[in-house]
Amino acid sequence: MKKIQFYLALWASKAASTLLVLLGRNASCFPGKVAIKLCKDFLLYVPKPKTVIAVTGTNGKTTVSNLTAGILRENGYSVTNNSLGSNIQPGVATALLQDSTVFGKAKKDIAVLECDERSSLKIFPHLKPDYLLCNNIMQDSVMRNAHTEFISYLLTSTLPEKTKVILNGDDMICSSLAPQCQDRTYFGIEAERPEALITPFHRDIVYCPKCGGKLVADYVRYYHIGRFHCESCGHTSPERAFTVTDINREQETFTVSHNGQALPYRLVSTNLVNIYNVCGMIALLSKVGLSYEQITNGLEKAEIVKSRQEILDAGDLHITMLMAKGLNPVACASCFSYVATTPGENKAAVICIDDRNNCATNSANICWFYDCDYSILADPSISQIVFGGPRCKDHYLRALMAGIPKEKMVITHDVAHAAELVDTEKSKNIFVLYDIYHPAEAAVNKKILMEKGGAL
Amino acid sequence: MIIEVLFNEVCGLNGDAQNAAYLQYAMPDAKIIYTSLLDEPYFATGRPDMILIGYMTENTQRRVIEKLMPLKERLCALIDDGVVILATGNAGEIFCKHISYVTEKLETEGLGIFDLTVKNDFFKRYNGKILSRFEGIEVVGFRTQFAHIYGDNSDCYFAEVIRGIGINPDSKLEGMRKNNLLCTHTVGPILPLNPLLCEKLIALAGGNAEAAFREEAVAAYEERLKEWNDPAIRFDM
Repeated sequence: MKKIQFYLALWASKAASTLLVLLGRNASCFPGKVAIKLCKDFLLYVPKPKTVIAVTGTNGKTTVSNLTAGILRENGYSVTNNSLGSNIQPGVATALLQDSTVFGKAKKDIAVLECDERSSLKIFPHLKPDYLLCNNIMQDSVMRNAHTEFISYLLTSTLPEKTKVILNGDDMICSSLAPQCQDRTYFGIEAERPEALITPFHRDIVYCPKCGGKLVADYVRYYHIGRFHCESCGHTSPERAFTVTDINREQETFTVSHNGQALPYRLVSTNLVNIYNVCGMIALLSKVGLSYEQITNGLEKAEIVKSRQEILDAGDLHITMLMAKGLNPVACASCFSYVATTPGENKAAVICIDDRNNCATNSANICWFYDCDYSILADPSISQIVFGGPRCKDHYLRALMAGIPKEKMVITHDVAHAAELVDTEKSKNIFVLYDIYHPAEAAVNKKILMEKGGAL
Repeated sequence: MIIEVLFNEVCGLNGDAQNAAYLQYAMPDAKIIYTSLLDEPYFATGRPDMILIGYMTENTQRRVIEKLMPLKERLCALIDDGVVILATGNAGEIFCKHISYVTEKLETEGLGIFDLTVKNDFFKRYNGKILSRFEGIEVVGFRTQFAHIYGDNSDCYFAEVIRGIGINPDSKLEGMRKNNLLCTHTVGPILPLNPLLCEKLIALAGGNAEAAFREEAVAAYEERLKEWNDPAIRFDM
């Protein structure tokens, strides 16, 4: 009976998928919704490739998933991947059903599926991944993800013990996940070890996950990413199997040490977060069985998707459009840091990161502003900050509390025209931070700045 | 004024940690004592004018109860003495009689200041807003929680609900109150969001100071109040 239900769901969802493609519509999620509606255990029954890889984590899973799928394809594997679709249950189901035959056979060699960590309960017990890569567990939208212990609980309670886990060894929350999984591989970065202890704005892990004693940082790179040991029981960050031991930014290479061998790879991105991502991916692909040559060959052509950042010149204006993940205090603080640390003086930041759910029927939760480190924006190289959006007064108050002088700030409720307030006589280097769900407003702001620069 | 912030390193999630910072801006001369979970609280032997404790994870909640249980009598004495204790988010739950963690299949006795029980369920998350009235002041706040509180708080509530829910979806009385022990399920920056409430708490603690950045805070508060009085705005999200 279950099998009949499954086949009906498979055929109906495949028909829905074909129809959407013929109509030129997005078919990356809806077919999966149809399938799950008709057969709630669809993910359990849908045919899966011989090897299933799941990629999860708070930040960077899309990057890792896309790079991994790309390198596997470069090496001749056929890959099922949900990079164009959603990373929740229907998106995963859609990717699998589209790559299966009508008779229920998987068409591809390997699946690389980006999985939302919040949805793990609905995905992993059915998907039963052979490999799981988790690049970090950090604070995210409080309404959706609550806190990191909740996300850890979900992942730990849903991962089958046979899954081989590849975890960020420099993230003690991540490295403590799913103790039932015995095949564990840790990765991390030893190179460019910070000399001084950086005091993080907030850490999601303060006490030892084993005994509750005080964790002492050997060093911290950002937030709780670093190396720690427990004063009480001696528990430490785990030993890494894949370690970045050298980063050569001039030659655009980095070295990963594994099993006593130090091998060079192409530096796809100089950003530390992405070096973690790529190192995790190297560990994963090595575990899957790819050789060093196969991985390096694939990396030669690999690119990190740049849709989140666009740099333009308009007359004497240098404009950086930066997509920020609103509601996510860590991701937004990273964008603030990017603005603050980019070389230059008299920079202007246009910040339009309000939740899209702030609308005629809702007034967005702004608690996350107070978990986000606004003091980064007090950097003297930033001469003007424009807060644009319905919650501009809340940003303003938050920024005052972070020590940003009033005279540096202007506010407007008009998110699409915030850039009009930029003093382009003074600021030639302008950063527009916009929420992922505000591309239209970002485009208007970009046009305004291009016009101000005389490029349109 | 002496303000003790309890376990801020783990009880300051969702922006709760910034409430103390806001008070410090309002009262630069106030002495703020940050007590870690491994330290003996200042209130065990001293008398702070105000104690703050904020939102925490469920593991931490159980640990905090364990930590405070031996100090229950002292806490009761301070409550009777009128010390202002502001518990935000799920911190107020520790003052109830019993907490049932449904998903984790755990049961914990609380401090029992209130004859109320808590039911925490990871798979019944509640997100919403609340507009309430505390001593004539309209209070705006955000709710994001796994737990609801059950029992009769009609003689010990923190605020009357204008819009939103009280201690549980069937209640219109929010939080708990005993003397100046004020427990609200509101999470995050309740004081910056409510400058008038902040001034009220300072007064209850024996101080006399304006809310920090008063003009800007009141402007944001009034804008939110106007929005939240609009019937089109939904309070459950």
